[in-house]
Amino acid sequence: MQVFLQTFIGGVSLGAIYALVAMGFSLVFRTMGLVNFSHGNVVMIGAYIASTFYLSAKLPFALAMAVAIVVTGLIGVFIERVLRPLENKDFDLMLIGTIGFGIVLEAVAIIIWGATGTAVPNPVAVAPVQVFGLRVRTYDLVVLAIATAATLLLVFFLQRTKRGAAMQAVAMDHEAATAVGIHVGRSNAIAFMLGAALAALAGGLVGPLLYVNPSMGGTLGIKGFAGAILGGFGSIPGAIVGGIAIGVLDAFAAGHFQGYSELVTFVVFTVIIMIRPTGIFGERTVNRA
Amino acid sequence: MKLRVAGGRSLRSRVAGTVALAACAWLLPYRLDTYMIHVANVVILFAILAVGLGLVMGIAGQINLAQIAFAGVAAYATAILTTRAGFGFWTAALLAILIASAMGLLVGMPALRMQSHYLGIVTLGLALAFTNWVTNAHVAGGAEGISGIPAPELPFVDLRNDYFFYYVELIVFAVTLAFGLFVVHTPLGRKMRAMRDDSLAAGAVGVEVPQLRMTAFLLSSVYGGVAGVFYAGLIRYVAPETFSIANMFLLLAMVIIGGRQSLVGCVVGAVALSLLREVLVDYPTYAQVAYGSIVVLTVVFVPTGLAGLPKRGRALLRRIGWLRSERGVVPRLGAFRPYAEEPPRNRGNILRLADVTMRFRGLTALQDVSLEVAAGEIRGIVGPNGSGKTTLFNVVSGLYRPTSGRVLLGERDMTGLRPHVLARHGVARTFQNLRLFPLLSVRENVLVALDQTSVLGAWRYAVWQPGVWRHNRALRAQADELLDRFGLTAFADSAPGELPYGTQRRVEIARAMARRPRILLLDEPAAGLNGDEVRELRDITRSIRSSGVTVVIIEHNMGLVMSLCERVTVFASGRIIADGTPAEVARSPQVVEAYLGDSAMSEDVPTEASR
Repeated sequence: MQVFLQTFIGGVSLGAIYALVAMGFSLVFRTMGLVNFSHGNVVMIGAYIASTFYLSAKLPFALAMAVAIVVTGLIGVFIERVLRPLENKDFDLMLIGTIGFGIVLEAVAIIIWGATGTAVPNPVAVAPVQVFGLRVRTYDLVVLAIATAATLLLVFFLQRTKRGAAMQAVAMDHEAATAVGIHVGRSNAIAFMLGAALAALAGGLVGPLLYVNPSMGGTLGIKGFAGAILGGFGSIPGAIVGGIAIGVLDAFAAGHFQGYSELVTFVVFTVIIMIRPTGIFGERTVNRA
Repeated sequence: MKLRVAGGRSLRSRVAGTVALAACAWLLPYRLDTYMIHVANVVILFAILAVGLGLVMGIAGQINLAQIAFAGVAAYATAILTTRAGFGFWTAALLAILIASAMGLLVGMPALRMQSHYLGIVTLGLALAFTNWVTNAHVAGGAEGISGIPAPELPFVDLRNDYFFYYVELIVFAVTLAFGLFVVHTPLGRKMRAMRDDSLAAGAVGVEVPQLRMTAFLLSSVYGGVAGVFYAGLIRYVAPETFSIANMFLLLAMVIIGGRQSLVGCVVGAVALSLLREVLVDYPTYAQVAYGSIVVLTVVFVPTGLAGLPKRGRALLRRIGWLRSERGVVPRLGAFRPYAEEPPRNRGNILRLADVTMRFRGLTALQDVSLEVAAGEIRGIVGPNGSGKTTLFNVVSGLYRPTSGRVLLGERDMTGLRPHVLARHGVARTFQNLRLFPLLSVRENVLVALDQTSVLGAWRYAVWQPGVWRHNRALRAQADELLDRFGLTAFADSAPGELPYGTQRRVEIARAMARRPRILLLDEPAAGLNGDEVRELRDITRSIRSSGVTVVIIEHNMGLVMSLCERVTVFASGRIIADGTPAEVARSPQVVEAYLGDSAMSEDVPTEASR
């Protein structure tokens, strides 16, 4: 029981990061119907920038994260701008275009930071807290707190601000949104920027938990994506539940199957998705047929 | 036969080009040193993989990020069977390809239920699962991989020599490419292209979309398997990183840059990118930046890839006047040749709906609709926009499964069957917004519908190709007969998008009639037609009915409905509000109210075109 709960808490912490990645995927998908395959690599870039400014420039961790968020936000806007001619035309081509961006981002990371990774020390140097006899790393609690805060901010933005409402409108019917004077391109750019910012947040937070290296984008991206699909693609609560579920699944698979954990995670994911293709909360389809 | 003459020259130049290329490929080793011949051998393997990926992605439109993993499965299977189980190379190779195709079916299974982006992530996840397995499994040698794979043996040639291996690979490549092209231009590939262009319309003309998706994955996994087996024979060593996601993306880049919808383009892309990688061999990261950027530029500016460049070039030359326009005379729509009269094949009611209700979340599109259509009649369905007419068609043709109620065809309960099953039981339809397959020619559009063979019959492709070829020839003759009947012969080789709107509508009716359906559903066939075209439509519809086909027609053009239909059913807000002869219906107070509002009672309810 002790081991079970310990594994569970570790899974939830990593799952919170997957959930942030998944929210980035879902936000872009529900707004413009695009699956952004470069998302994982943006997470990786975010992790590198945050760790560089934290370790080399000796900025405070929070400030280093802010820099990472700004830079990746700009990358997100750039990607959206380049692929804009394909929007609402050919989603498969756009998807492949984002794969192209992912390839470039990974190579650029290798050129700047080298092929080997960096270990990031824990920025919260406090002893683990004891909760009901369980040792919980303080950093896990920080991750959970920041992820919760980011989610609340995002939901507030989408539901309580004018710009957020405009994005929801674009998600439902981009033609009708254009007709009432919403700038669809700008709305998509904001979605991409927010998605990238969430990616940087996830990347910055994951640095001290994992080893920061150029190929981390692939694994993180795919697991975040799996979380998004598992919860119901395009749905924000779905992304949270799905992301945490993948994190927990991952933690238990790592405990029971060691090296085979990825195999187990993906096979379980595939089986679940075949039984229920629309995920737990159902897909928020952008129906533009 | 006119086509043969016109195509003669381009066919001859094509044959000449192929022979020249083959000769170059055959003589190439004489100019290459031992290092370059090894590179050439790897390039050919990438070309085979690219053809397989082109088939599943470009032709069938299914995203597959597990193609390298298929090759990995076969390469590892060969390695394990030869080094651990002591099999000979060719026995192991055969088994390995079988194992790879089993994996193809397994990976393709999600495609039965889901669409592009899901398929992308699922195939990618399974590919990762594969590399994860081989890096950990003891039997696969872990991270070090397996070395000491025996070289394949052939009488008289020593395949440890890369030069001999080149010729074996070249022959295998030629066979696989030829087979791929054969598939593309015969019924199986045509159905795949139709599915790629519009899977909904493909289902409606009887293409078994789920089975076809699986077949596409199976096909690509066989290509992956062949490439993997020869990789194991060439390098005689397998390791996990060869089959990594990075190489998958490289392969994807080859297919996209070359042009995914053309198998030859895929090969060109594979060769071009391999050479680029060879030039930048000392700067692999910069090579990665280069090909990633080219992928982005390709999808934005030249989505058809290198394969599409000649066509674009010709169009450009024509625009600046360096090249003469292709055709001098504008082709004209011919007259419709009526069908021979036949009594309807059924008696009594051919279509019966019993209390059909269709709800979408909160919205009720159809409420307790009961309807009977007698065999051999022309039934009109009218009603204001949003009254549920098209939903009715979607339920009858199987696109929607009704929330409750039953749909009967003749005496058989057809409720909730998939569209292609219904198409095979004699339901044909057209679409309100025209759903022709845009990248197929008019003749091919008709051919897709004409082919009655099941996807499961695709085993013939592996066993007896001349039979497939003959079947294809017979279909072409039927298609030309049908196009001639509808006066479309002049447009047979055009893309549907180039045709005038009214002609496109006629093509869609011809496609629907290709299967000789029992019941034809026409969804606003007169929308966008001019007066002459509407009159022709009336003649065509009457002739179709006289040939024994029951017609149900949704139309806003009241003149057409009144003059064509024996009975008219009026919908409003998802319910039937009137049913009877045109004259009866036109007098019905509910109808007048639905159309004009209750204050505007009037004697002359629309009898001429209301729209």
